[in-house]
Amino acid sequence: MQSIPSPKAVRRSDLVSATIRRALHWLSNTLLFLFSLLWLAPAVWALVTSFKVPENLFQPVPKWIPWPMTMMHYAEVFRSTRGTSIGTALVNSAIVSLSSIVLVLAVSAAAAYPLARMQFPGRNLVFACLVGSLMVPGIISVVPLYLVMHRLHWLNSYQALILPDAASAFGVFMLRQFFLSLPIELEDAARIDGANSWQILTQVLLPLSQPALVALAIFTFQGAWNDYAWPLIVMTKQRMMTLPIALAYLRFDYTSAFYGKIMAGAVVSAIPLLILFIVANRRIVEGVQFSGLKG
Amino acid sequence: MAESPTKVPRWRKILVPYLYLLPFMALFLAFRVIPLFYGLELSLTNARLGRTSSQFVGLGNFTRLPDDKRFVLSLVNTFTFALEATAPVLGVPLLLAVLLNRGMALKNLMRSFFFFPYTLSAATLGLIWAWLFDPLVGPLNYYLKLIGITPPNWLGNPVSAMPSVVLTTVWWVTGFYLVLFLAALQDVPVHLYEAAAIDGASAWQSFWRITLPLLQRTFLFVLVIHLIGAFQVFAHIHVLTQGGPADATRPIVQHIYETAFLNRFELGSAAAMSWVLFLIIVAFSVLQFRFLRER
Repeated sequence: MQSIPSPKAVRRSDLVSATIRRALHWLSNTLLFLFSLLWLAPAVWALVTSFKVPENLFQPVPKWIPWPMTMMHYAEVFRSTRGTSIGTALVNSAIVSLSSIVLVLAVSAAAAYPLARMQFPGRNLVFACLVGSLMVPGIISVVPLYLVMHRLHWLNSYQALILPDAASAFGVFMLRQFFLSLPIELEDAARIDGANSWQILTQVLLPLSQPALVALAIFTFQGAWNDYAWPLIVMTKQRMMTLPIALAYLRFDYTSAFYGKIMAGAVVSAIPLLILFIVANRRIVEGVQFSGLKG
Repeated sequence: MAESPTKVPRWRKILVPYLYLLPFMALFLAFRVIPLFYGLELSLTNARLGRTSSQFVGLGNFTRLPDDKRFVLSLVNTFTFALEATAPVLGVPLLLAVLLNRGMALKNLMRSFFFFPYTLSAATLGLIWAWLFDPLVGPLNYYLKLIGITPPNWLGNPVSAMPSVVLTTVWWVTGFYLVLFLAALQDVPVHLYEAAAIDGASAWQSFWRITLPLLQRTFLFVLVIHLIGAFQVFAHIHVLTQGGPADATRPIVQHIYETAFLNRFELGSAAAMSWVLFLIIVAFSVLQFRFLRER
């Protein structure tokens, strides 16, 4: 039988347990913070390696400060020495990614507008096809799409990467949802003032949709910049390779003696998205939460 | 829909929406819909890359698949990857989300740290981890030896290769799922925890009785996204191991890619494999769609 504790004893034990709990809380938070730093260690190690002089690349004890520091791996990465030049690949990736952004935004916004704001026969059918296609994985059409590109003589061309991605069902879906969330009164006012549908889209809806457009632009950029399988298949000539493919060939072609150069390439490829991530952190997080609906 | 101030002829009411939809529908038809049916046609022929004519072979490509030992092995590998990755890919972000959601200082900063790897391309990811895993000069082995653990041969051994791939995958995608879980946790009403605390529930009980049941939908949803993605895994494994050693990490997408474009140039056979994979994924997509509709 347990005796009933006096009120005073309760208070003291409460005090003790509260202190213990706070200490535990503080301890676990500190550990969690250290763990989050540790989580970045692989990326930091890549960065550190890219600045190391060749003699320091392989040391028995890992050194986290690249001293003496060198930029030689970066210089080498951009020079066409053996295999693919990362510099050329960087330009290819930039052309493809930026064109994709422009095209996806334009095509998606135009298609999302009538789906959100107009009544017309076939609307539900078009929308159903769109949502249905979100569930069709890209892999199913890789082989036939390759043959389509082959027939069009588009292998090793920029449009082979840009155009298939421009039909972004996700982009249309996302912008349609966003348009629907905007108040219709502004458009009504503009229509009464004599604005036509094109003016309403470009001068009323799009300026209001900046958050969604920015998020879609970032996702499009990430998708195009990081894409691997499709560019690997259609971009077989070295001068047309995008950055991820050129980097993969660095790994396939070089031995561990080239880790400095390989890490420099990895860092170069990570920088644009790192900058975007720092600048637009909140947009990206909100966008991911939305894309969770897409899957 | 607002009533338009002027009378618009009926044909314009139909034409205008379709003009906006035209660019998207044209691209969608050319690069999504047509390849889908073209792929189905291909899968019933003996089409080969570099041969202009092909014959109808019925379901021959499908019935021969079980005899293709590498196909079966790749299928097994893909399922192995999906299964081995499920617990850590879901558990690690869930645990981190619960820990981060306790009203921590620096929560957003730590979320960013965990999210950062998700911005990297598969190629960059592969390069970084190949360097970390390097059995001779990689830092991972040094630190493991330091704390008295004999490191495995990571990517060099058929037994440890797949778990190593899973490890890199967890590092890569944790941030993405963490953001989804955190968003779901923030929707859990605080007063539920307060009421539970008043009733004398421990933190552990609150987690099991409140947090997990309310996260159920997000959890199932994330599971489906993970599985759909896992069945299509290719890029980062290709950079890390190229499917080796001894085909131990070779996924089904790599087999399709090599069958069509690298070894056998059998487009018909590769198209058939794509459809098999597609049907597997559809089964999971249907689940996903049901969750979406329930929302």
